[in-house]
Amino acid sequence: MTTESIISIKDVTKRFPVGGGEFTALHKINLEFETGEFSGLIGPSGSGKTTLLNIMGSLDTPTEGQAIVMGKDISKLTHKQSALLRNMHLGFVFQVYNLLPVYTVFENVEFSLLLQNWSAAERKKMVMESLEWVGLQDIADKKPAKLSGGEGQRVAIARAMVKRPEIVLADEPTANLDAANAHTIIQTMKRLSHELKTTFIFSTHDEKVMGYLDRIISLEDGKVKKEQQVEAKFSLS
Amino acid sequence: MIRFLIKGILGDKNRSVLPIIIITIGVSLTILLSGYLRGVMGDMIDQSARFDTGHVKIMSRSYAEDQVQMPNDLALLGVEAIKEQLASDYPDVQWADRIKFGGLIDVPDGKEGSKGQGPAAGLAFDLFSGVSGEDERLNISHSIVKGKLPSQPREALIGNDFADKLNIQMGDEITYMGTTMNGSMTFENFVVSGTIKFGIAAMDKGAIIIDISDARVLLDMHDAVGELLGFFEGGVYDDDKALAIAAEFNQKYAHDKDEYAPQMFALREQNSLGGYLDYVDYFAGLFVGIFVFAMSVVLWNTGLLGGLRRYQEFGIRLALGESRGHIYRTLIYEAIFIGFTGSVAGTIVGLSGTYYLQVYGIDVGDMMQESTMMVPSIMRAKMTPDLLYIGFVPGLFAMVFGNMLSGIGIYKRSTASLFKELEV
Ligand SMILES: Nc1ncnc2c1ncn2[C@@H]1O[C@H](COP(=O)(O)OP(=O)(O)O)[C@@H](O)[C@H]1O
Ligand SMILES: [Mg+2]
Repeated sequence: MTTESIISIKDVTKRFPVGGGEFTALHKINLEFETGEFSGLIGPSGSGKTTLLNIMGSLDTPTEGQAIVMGKDISKLTHKQSALLRNMHLGFVFQVYNLLPVYTVFENVEFSLLLQNWSAAERKKMVMESLEWVGLQDIADKKPAKLSGGEGQRVAIARAMVKRPEIVLADEPTANLDAANAHTIIQTMKRLSHELKTTFIFSTHDEKVMGYLDRIISLEDGKVKKEQQVEAKFSLS
Repeated sequence: MIRFLIKGILGDKNRSVLPIIIITIGVSLTILLSGYLRGVMGDMIDQSARFDTGHVKIMSRSYAEDQVQMPNDLALLGVEAIKEQLASDYPDVQWADRIKFGGLIDVPDGKEGSKGQGPAAGLAFDLFSGVSGEDERLNISHSIVKGKLPSQPREALIGNDFADKLNIQMGDEITYMGTTMNGSMTFENFVVSGTIKFGIAAMDKGAIIIDISDARVLLDMHDAVGELLGFFEGGVYDDDKALAIAAEFNQKYAHDKDEYAPQMFALREQNSLGGYLDYVDYFAGLFVGIFVFAMSVVLWNTGLLGGLRRYQEFGIRLALGESRGHIYRTLIYEAIFIGFTGSVAGTIVGLSGTYYLQVYGIDVGDMMQESTMMVPSIMRAKMTPDLLYIGFVPGLFAMVFGNMLSGIGIYKRSTASLFKELEV
């Protein structure tokens, strides 16, 4: 697992300036992620999960060490290049689904395609296909305010998946959902991971999510405490 | 993408309505006040030219020094000769004789006594020749309230308020009492042919208007005139031309030591009108400057607030792979769209208001009762072509500039901290 790694984190340390001094959120992290992996970062609140996901998503840079994503050292990218990396290869799902309220479901999903050069017909086809993946093709014209929490998060998954990214980073995607919705969503993601060979990396402390993961990485105080391959407890229903 | 942005603006009232209202108000006020200021100053200057200063005016040097006293004993002599010379030197300037005179008007009661008296503010000019253009210039016919213009010797127009107060009828006789050019007492009876109201407070008080030939007899001013007014063709004042003519004319008399020698003054050189002319430009400029600044500050602040509110949106857009530069540019496009909309609305409102004030004006006659200034009592705005951009350009500029400033926040903050806004 060297050259093929889709993400490789090498001796990554992240410090934030706080008050007069500094706070070390990540401490010499070393991790490799392979294509198609369905893995998760777990650990108590404040352990550095979001910070690490942000670095892998090129939304932030390490203070020391290297984060290589799709063969690119994200510390060396310009703003424009990192935006392009996110636009072409990375999808994000957040704890709160954060849809833009003035746009319809369709338009929210369409947005990243507008940044690429797809024709209107191609965009429509792609948006409808990704809404079908999450089973929401019938509510394309609704506004986000009209959606339930579970539906909102499924739209967020469609939005992340519409451009067929190689990697999806999901930061506590089920934290605001009830059990039934949490299962539906994680199953949807697992199925897409299989069908599209997408790499999924979660951060979570939700037991239900952990049950679907192939690999669990435990963080504590900014360090990797334990890494384990697991036999997924839940399979695709 | 453009469609996307426009939908965003229209869908988010906070983003569009407030700035559009601010711009509309700012732009329309700028236009309205500029138009009003120009109109009022222009009218004042025009009015002043017609009634008092001409575009240029010739008086004797000593008369000029004491002008407000209407010192006809210092009047300009040998007027016919001077006018002949002027006609050949400046064939495109029209010259008008004017005599102003003070005195007293007495209204006899038909028996032995008097119905009342009042101070006279007399004005004499060429009414009878029919070629002087004075009727149109002073708008006399339109200012007549009752009766008609004098058409024969010893007829007079008098101020309508004065006539009302003393219950004077058309055809009644009034008596003028005053002094001649040579300082002797003079009396004359005039038949009231009509009453007049100019709407200029300073003119309407005790006005008596007679033909210049009557005044010459009455005041013993043969071949003499108090003031000789010159008007340019088309009735439009040209500052440079007036100053040039005056300098040239005065040069001829530079070596004449006579205190009765003629002296010419451009409009700018009389009654501090030069100062007014400069102030119009100065204040119009200052005004627009202040508005642009104030609008920019307000729009910058609304931009900042809007920006803060939108950090979440920017965070999502960054995560979806939009670059900061692109987000910044879309903010500017939005500003252009909003600024354009507001400026168009403001220009329409401002021009409509200006048009209204041009047609109807604001009546300040009551405030001006005590004024001796040559101020029109209805103040009107004036539509000029520059009003089309005088508000529009600053409105658009203020919005775009305000958003450029507030949008810098997107650059100042790190991607991660913009993105942090996503965590609740
Ligand atoms: N921008 C920042 N400035 C200062 N401290 C930060 C910043 N971001 C995160 N931290 C700190 O780093 C630690 C890890 O945060 P985070 O990665 O969000 O943890 P988790 O997602 O596991 O709850 C926390 O203690 C947090 O307070
Ligand atoms: Mg977190």
